[in-house]
Amino acid sequence: MAPKVEIVQRQFGHPEWEEPFVVNMGPQHPSTHGVLRLYLELDGESVVRCDPRIGYLHRGLEKLSENLTYTQAMVLTDRLDYISSAANNVGYCLAVEKLMGLEVPRRARLLRTIVCEMARISSHLLWLATHALDIGAMTVFLYCFRDREWLLDIYEKICGARLTVSYARVGGVRLDFTQEIVDELYRFTEEFPGRITDYETLIDINRIWLKRTKGIAVVPPEKALNMGLTGPSLRGSGIPYDVRKFKPYDAYDEVEFEVPVGKNGDTYDRYRVRMEELRQANRIIRQCLDKLPETEGEPVIAEGAPDLLMPEKKKVPEAAPHPKRGFLIKGAEVPVVPPGEVYVSIEAPKGELGYYIVSDGSGKPWRVRVRAPSFVHISAIPEMIKGHMVADIIAVIGTLDVVLGECDR
Amino acid sequence: MSLTRTVFLTEIVKGLALTLRKMFSRPVTVQYPEEKKPLAPGFRGRHALVRDPHTGRERCIGCLRCAKVCPSRCIYIETERDPETRRMVVKRYEIEVLRCVFCGYCEEVCPVNALVLTEFYEYAGESREEVYFDKEKLLQNWDEFIMSQRRPYLNPYWKPRGIPETRLPVFKRKAEGV
Repeated sequence: MAPKVEIVQRQFGHPEWEEPFVVNMGPQHPSTHGVLRLYLELDGESVVRCDPRIGYLHRGLEKLSENLTYTQAMVLTDRLDYISSAANNVGYCLAVEKLMGLEVPRRARLLRTIVCEMARISSHLLWLATHALDIGAMTVFLYCFRDREWLLDIYEKICGARLTVSYARVGGVRLDFTQEIVDELYRFTEEFPGRITDYETLIDINRIWLKRTKGIAVVPPEKALNMGLTGPSLRGSGIPYDVRKFKPYDAYDEVEFEVPVGKNGDTYDRYRVRMEELRQANRIIRQCLDKLPETEGEPVIAEGAPDLLMPEKKKVPEAAPHPKRGFLIKGAEVPVVPPGEVYVSIEAPKGELGYYIVSDGSGKPWRVRVRAPSFVHISAIPEMIKGHMVADIIAVIGTLDVVLGECDR
Repeated sequence: MSLTRTVFLTEIVKGLALTLRKMFSRPVTVQYPEEKKPLAPGFRGRHALVRDPHTGRERCIGCLRCAKVCPSRCIYIETERDPETRRMVVKRYEIEVLRCVFCGYCEEVCPVNALVLTEFYEYAGESREEVYFDKEKLLQNWDEFIMSQRRPYLNPYWKPRGIPETRLPVFKRKAEGV
């Protein structure tokens, strides 16, 4: 257990009052995982006040989507959480499909589930690598990147890109798997549980690791809910909330998996939860692969899915209600995406990723709003950091698993 | 942590044993400039305009579908009608690679499979002009690329696997390799 430092914040006018020591941590600091800048006021080596300053990676992604068609805007979602881009694509496509009322074929749903879980594994591997490296374990970093490389190679075989995959599309996925990919994935799922054991051998009971993580940034369950934490950060506090279980999308209602939870809500428990999630993700991929032959030969795109070159309106052969006169006319044009609004959330590797899309019937979204887990998690940093040392800030940023591309959008 | 564990450093010895074991396994490092990993078919790399083996000219018919679907709007096309043969001719076909996001939409929507993102990625330049491809450069890219490929070459995005044939234009349906 790390010793708790009692902080006496001396008020202005107090005889012992002195100027706080101000440190800007970031935006170029290697442990801030991107361009997060923390404005710190220190008392010796303990943090008195922490103030995250974000926005260094703002690209106006939500506004950009308003000038692009729905298929074009999907490409932008790759750049949200660039470590798990496949999951972002799927979330966006689910939202547009709900707006259009499309039914995705089963094979496409299975394929999407597989790439989502691959994204989860590759994201958690990168998290473990950098988190361990920040805390001081170099070997884990190298081992994790070795296995992540394998997953990226599989992504390359699936769709031709390694990071910004753009694999899902409105109504399904863009390409089917080949037998070669399925075999490679089988080999991966065979071997991966052994690799997880390797990481655990290195750091699970390592005394340095334990001292750096146990009792650091403890979040009780109520506080975690109040701060809006989602994903593994919330489950580490013992709340079994998982969108995959509570509101299953794609093929998650067909597969069996457990939602691991922690007990104490400290950094170590969140680490344990993520390690367990790696195993569960591996299990889900395995089950989906076993189900794939049942859907052999099915199309991977829905019947009424729009073309990539998305037209604004489409002709309907049967009669449709006229907007003004109220009666039915023949051969009318209806918007491809009907007017309306929709909110769809998925369980991205970082937490609950939500898309709120408003459509006004002109082939482009009127408004896209992304509920990014990293944005919410960064707002929890000052609360979690209270009473800790400067060195523990690294552990706290690491344990929340923030990605600034998603936070600043 | 029990006393024996504390004294004998059990968990650290275990970790060291693991790393020692790994010393005798095959290394995974690739010495990049000397040796290269094989790329998967359909890798989205440098752009190229397909040169038709029969006519020796570009296949592009100037339908502007790629320019319309491009999310970053980096394709500029100008067409004109040949006064003698009354055929559409692509006068200008330019791709601003610095803006491209490599989504591969263009090669997927092209009705005549005229555009391709080749399996080639080492084309970094020192100036903007070097990575601004006009029609001649794009055709040259194709010539360079197809030399290294096994014929017939068929990009997966030209005829995406699992997409029902009714959704594809006629030319794509019976597309065969180049």
